[in-house]
Amino acid sequence: MATQPTYAYGTGFGTTGGPPRTVRHPFELRALPYESVFFYRKAVDNSRLVREADPKSRGACWSAIGAAGLLVALLFGVLAPSVADTLSGYKLQSLRAEERRLLDERRTLELAVAERLSPEHLARLADRQNLVTPKSGQVQRLDGDRPDASVAMVK
Amino acid sequence: MAERRLTVLVGGVLLWAAAIFYNLVKLQVVHHREYAAMARARQEMVVDIPAPRGSIFDRTGSPLAMSVPVDTVHINPRKVDPVIAAGILSAKLHQDKNELYQRIVAARDNRRGYLVVARNLSWEEGDSLSHLPVDGIELDRQSQRHYPKGMLAAHVLGTVNFDGKGDAGVEQTLDQYLRGTPGKERVLTDVQHRGIDTEIAVAPKPGVAVTLTIDERLQFVAERELAEAVAAHGAASGSLVVMNPHTGEILALASYPTYDPNAPPEAANPPQRENHATSVPFEPGSVFKVITLSAALETTRLRPESIIDCGRGAITLFGRTIHEAHGGFGALPMAQVLSRSSNVGAIRIGMTVGQQNMYEYMRRFGFGQKTGVPLPGEARGRLRPLSKWSKVSLASVSMGQEVSVTTVQLAQAASVVANGGLLVRPRLVLKIGDQVVNSDPPVRVVRPETAITMRQMMEGVVMPGGTGYPEARLEGYSVGGKTGSAQIYDPASRHYTHNYNGSFMGFAPLTNPAIVVVATLNGTHGNLGYGGRAAAPVFHAVAQEALRVLDIPKDLPEQAPVELAAAKQAPGDLAIAELGSLEPNILEEEGDEDGDVPPAAAGPKVPDFRGKSMRAVLAQAASMGLTVLPDGSGIARVQFPPAGAALRQGERIRVRFAR
Repeated sequence: MATQPTYAYGTGFGTTGGPPRTVRHPFELRALPYESVFFYRKAVDNSRLVREADPKSRGACWSAIGAAGLLVALLFGVLAPSVADTLSGYKLQSLRAEERRLLDERRTLELAVAERLSPEHLARLADRQNLVTPKSGQVQRLDGDRPDASVAMVK
Repeated sequence: MAERRLTVLVGGVLLWAAAIFYNLVKLQVVHHREYAAMARARQEMVVDIPAPRGSIFDRTGSPLAMSVPVDTVHINPRKVDPVIAAGILSAKLHQDKNELYQRIVAARDNRRGYLVVARNLSWEEGDSLSHLPVDGIELDRQSQRHYPKGMLAAHVLGTVNFDGKGDAGVEQTLDQYLRGTPGKERVLTDVQHRGIDTEIAVAPKPGVAVTLTIDERLQFVAERELAEAVAAHGAASGSLVVMNPHTGEILALASYPTYDPNAPPEAANPPQRENHATSVPFEPGSVFKVITLSAALETTRLRPESIIDCGRGAITLFGRTIHEAHGGFGALPMAQVLSRSSNVGAIRIGMTVGQQNMYEYMRRFGFGQKTGVPLPGEARGRLRPLSKWSKVSLASVSMGQEVSVTTVQLAQAASVVANGGLLVRPRLVLKIGDQVVNSDPPVRVVRPETAITMRQMMEGVVMPGGTGYPEARLEGYSVGGKTGSAQIYDPASRHYTHNYNGSFMGFAPLTNPAIVVVATLNGTHGNLGYGGRAAAPVFHAVAQEALRVLDIPKDLPEQAPVELAAAKQAPGDLAIAELGSLEPNILEEEGDEDGDVPPAAAGPKVPDFRGKSMRAVLAQAASMGLTVLPDGSGIARVQFPPAGAALRQGERIRVRFAR
């Protein structure tokens, strides 16, 4: 049941003309707009109205939804690899840059290590700590001739 | 009316379509390349793929030269706001802001579009500048050569020029392997210049690593001892080579004065860059007597015990008299001609050998030709062809005059004696990449017995009475060697001066030499400038350390015998008699370091076994506590050491028997 609003101006005035203009006192408060409008409702009974069954429109609706879904899927199928490719490209470039940066850093660190391990630097450090070169045969390699073999000092 | 309107509409649509088509053709066909290039410029970035120059390692794998990427920051002064750029860069690079501002303004006023603000940025500096949101400030990444060990092996390694091309040392000779060629790749970028896709335009070709035969520990000791000796003796320069006599591998090659390859040269060809070990030949002096005596053993009947008339210190040849550098000797066994370095004795031996044989053996020992060591500017030395020899040339070359050699040539020649008579070419490169560099096959120069005999005679040089005693003796190792001092010829005055090329070449241990060390000091002065006094101590220090580092077993007791220790203290070791006159005749120029020290009291005297049977010889030796190595059967004919010579501890007497 619906209601239909109806509005009308206050009694005493016809619908053909507006309210008469009156000369207002300068100190009189201004009236609220449309304070003379008031509502009333009228009950309308439309319960007898019944929507007519339309099986074709239902099918068409599902077809449209299916077509739209297919279209979306197709679009997704076409665009997704490209988008994934682009995103992978970003990632790949980032990783490549990282790899180069790390390689450069490693070379810089290798250089620093080589400088620290130079015989001159080691000799300076040894002098500072009053270390002397061992005599021939004083250092014994315990694990053969391997460079990383354990050593023992013969006093 | 309606038709007319429709016609107008269709006409308008057609015009619009034509305009669109015209523009399409203009964009896609007429200006295609131009717009495609513009698009590429905006969307593509060409990035260098670094291909660093190959590293250089020593034989233990320690890096001697390596390339490291460094950043250079440069700006476009006409694009940047000087205040902003100076503010940012001075804060990041720790530079003076006002000074940098002035530089930028000056460059802008001079209409320069490129200004290098700083080179060789540290990693942190480069990283902090790489994300600056300011146009006009750019980083340029380049590969820079570093020599992490500083001056170590500078003459071997060499340097690279601004183009990254080797211009000295193995950097130059092996440039084709070491040099890397950077590649290029195109990077598709988005509007924020972030990479999306790449395409390699030019594949990079990285440089190949090179492994040298040098051992940085020995190289350091060699350079340190050489520098100290040059300073101590007031020499002008010096050089030193340590070599494995069996493989020819150069374990250390030092030249002084030296330089820091990390620092750019101050002049075009500074003298510090001259490699005295390979590029500066000199007259060797008495070390060359080794060649003379080797030739004599090979081509004559002379033997170590053969008596040579040393003419009491003088010999007259073709009207010219040649004096001994010191006093003079009467008759000496050939072994003592070498140990006491008698010039007259060497000349007499050389005369016995003859010109043809002498020349041939000099060539066989590798003199007058390049050794093939891969260093630029190697000198071949000077060895006159036989046709240009004068009457006195044979006498001159017999004692190391009229011939010029390099230190590396002397090391090659000493290796012949040390390895049993084979000429092994010096090697400096062990591996290129993973490929081992093969060396030339050795060539037989002298018979093995000749080499062994020479070794024994060269041991006498470091025994009491020898010119290398006691400086060249090693604790715990037997040593063979030869001293040499040659006066330096002054081309201006056409006279020989009292400055010397003092040298010592030796090897150890004597029984199976593991190393050959040749040290030369150029421009020494006075008695202490002779080879036995100036160069032998360098040999001692370097050889002692090399044998320790290489873990060579000792073949002698560490403590020197009492007799040797006493002899070490004997006075007069350094006494040198007057030199020859300063006539321009090369034959009269003598400059030897030989000490006129009488044989010091050593071990027991060697008895005379000659003419006795083997049974008698063995019985006599046993009664005296001596060890005899008999050879052959019958009657004792030849013995070494000769009768009357002092034995050192552990020394054995070889006696050859024949019927």
